[in-house]
Amino acid sequence: MIWGWIPANADRILALTLEHLRLSLIPVVAGLLLAVPFGWLANRYRPARAVLIPAAGVLYTIPSLALFVVLPGILGTQILSEVNIVVALTMYTVALLVRIVADALAAVPGTVVASATAMGYRPARRFFDVELPLAVPVLVAGLRVATASTVNLVTVGALIGVGGLGELFTEGFQLNFPTEIVTGVTLVVLLTFVGDALLLGLSRASTPWSRVGGRS
Amino acid sequence: MTRGVSRVIEFRGVTKRFPDGTVAVDRLDLSVDAGRITVFVGPSGCGKTTSLRMVNRMIEPSEGVITVDGRDVMATDAAELRRGMGYVIQHAGLFPHRTIRDNVATVPLLLGWTKARARKRAAELMELVGLTPEMARRYPSQLSGGQQQRVGVARALAADPPILLMDEPFSAVDPVVREGLQEELLRLQAELGKTIVFVTHDIDEAIKLGDRVAVFGSGGHLAQYDEPGTLLARPANDFVDGFVGRDRGYRGLGFLPADRLPLGELPTVAAGATTAQARATADRGWVLVVDAARRPLGWLPVNGSLPAGDRPIGAGDLVPGESLYDVASGSLRGALDAALSSPSGLGVAVDGDGVVVGSVAATDVLDALAAARGHEAVA
Repeated sequence: MIWGWIPANADRILALTLEHLRLSLIPVVAGLLLAVPFGWLANRYRPARAVLIPAAGVLYTIPSLALFVVLPGILGTQILSEVNIVVALTMYTVALLVRIVADALAAVPGTVVASATAMGYRPARRFFDVELPLAVPVLVAGLRVATASTVNLVTVGALIGVGGLGELFTEGFQLNFPTEIVTGVTLVVLLTFVGDALLLGLSRASTPWSRVGGRS
Repeated sequence: MTRGVSRVIEFRGVTKRFPDGTVAVDRLDLSVDAGRITVFVGPSGCGKTTSLRMVNRMIEPSEGVITVDGRDVMATDAAELRRGMGYVIQHAGLFPHRTIRDNVATVPLLLGWTKARARKRAAELMELVGLTPEMARRYPSQLSGGQQQRVGVARALAADPPILLMDEPFSAVDPVVREGLQEELLRLQAELGKTIVFVTHDIDEAIKLGDRVAVFGSGGHLAQYDEPGTLLARPANDFVDGFVGRDRGYRGLGFLPADRLPLGELPTVAAGATTAQARATADRGWVLVVDAARRPLGWLPVNGSLPAGDRPIGAGDLVPGESLYDVASGSLRGALDAALSSPSGLGVAVDGDGVVVGSVAATDVLDALAAARGHEAVA
């Protein structure tokens, strides 16, 4: 380790960290927003489930590098555009979360949904007031996996020139300079942990009811 | 409060056929009285729950018409219709992510009340069903099954709907708690006078709660629709007879008034008396010991176990535990039970304050029963 390298390149490291954050955050948020309606469809309609769940499974098996390379041809974007990475990682997030959203919604007790209906809830409000909040614990568990996976997948983008902290890997590798690689890995791991901790905190804050425990 | 005079639920030729071809309800004609408890009872799969759920359109009929207050439910907006009817479901179906207070406030909030007003109403309702204010901020998982069920009832009553639909509300709680909830419901109903449709598979519950009971048979046929006393005394067919079950003669006594039952003398001594006084008063070997307000403490056997000589009567000398016959709310069943359970063979009759007013003998109950039957035959 050549420690002096870090402060000397602080500006660049910070810029790459912010880029990495952006490249992770947008796909996770967009992926979640897309996965909720797809997951709802998969849970609500059997034919939708028969299509969406296997499709999500197949999508997730496509190697990320292949997707990064193919997308410009499909989207008509520049090969070095950030959009390719964002779209690809959003697709992975959706693929991962569709099943989880569907399962989380399916796990909401039927009697609770029935009683909400009987109280006079209309379906849309019932979804946002009752079903979605009750799905949060399972949903966040899935979101934590998706976040960790996305933060790490961003680094693969470095191979096509847009990879946030991943660029420290490729460059360090080409220059045979381990300090750069170790710095990159450490920051990626750190980002993953921070993201995970934030989600956990958010989940706990929004579900006080899930921790009060049953009456003994 | 909009306690409707004519607010009734009416089923006219209602059939429910499910997509797989099963007929859950078969040409049901039935009208539910306003301000009364109507119980739908029957074995599982008899269509009682399906019938209930068609009232608030949780299930829609295949044929026929259901009207509430003269309006076809199918012509009413489903959500609006449901907000006008309280609904209590088995296992309460409370929202696990909402506090008790917010659970109870559900329908008022759906109706657009302000949060403050809805919470105030929730507090009133919690008190009405016997929940303490400190429960307001708890979550359903922190309550017992019986308490959750009370919350379910409070939630159903929150917007003061004239109609209450109760779908096996008490079947998931243990028998002791269930009995308490039943008593509570009857007390609430005496106060509120709602039109209640109550579904149960328990015939005893049906007979206890129902002003009228609809017995459903298999295949969704209505087998009999009558007052509970009539159901016990004159089952319409073998199915009802079998379903109403054992001891129906004895249980039927619960619906015969005991007002013509003669009360006899009862030998009593006050709690502070001595054994010698007890011996002097006793009739056929027994004397009832009463407190200063003439409320029964227990029977004292003056022969056998009581040693000779004179001393004050002790609590240990008394034989406790027989049921009392309350002449105010009395029925022949209560009178007979008091007589049969008394160690002396004489039932203790008390008034509404628990004060001894006389005795009742089993033979007198049977005579009163014969008289009541004779009267019925003439009428």
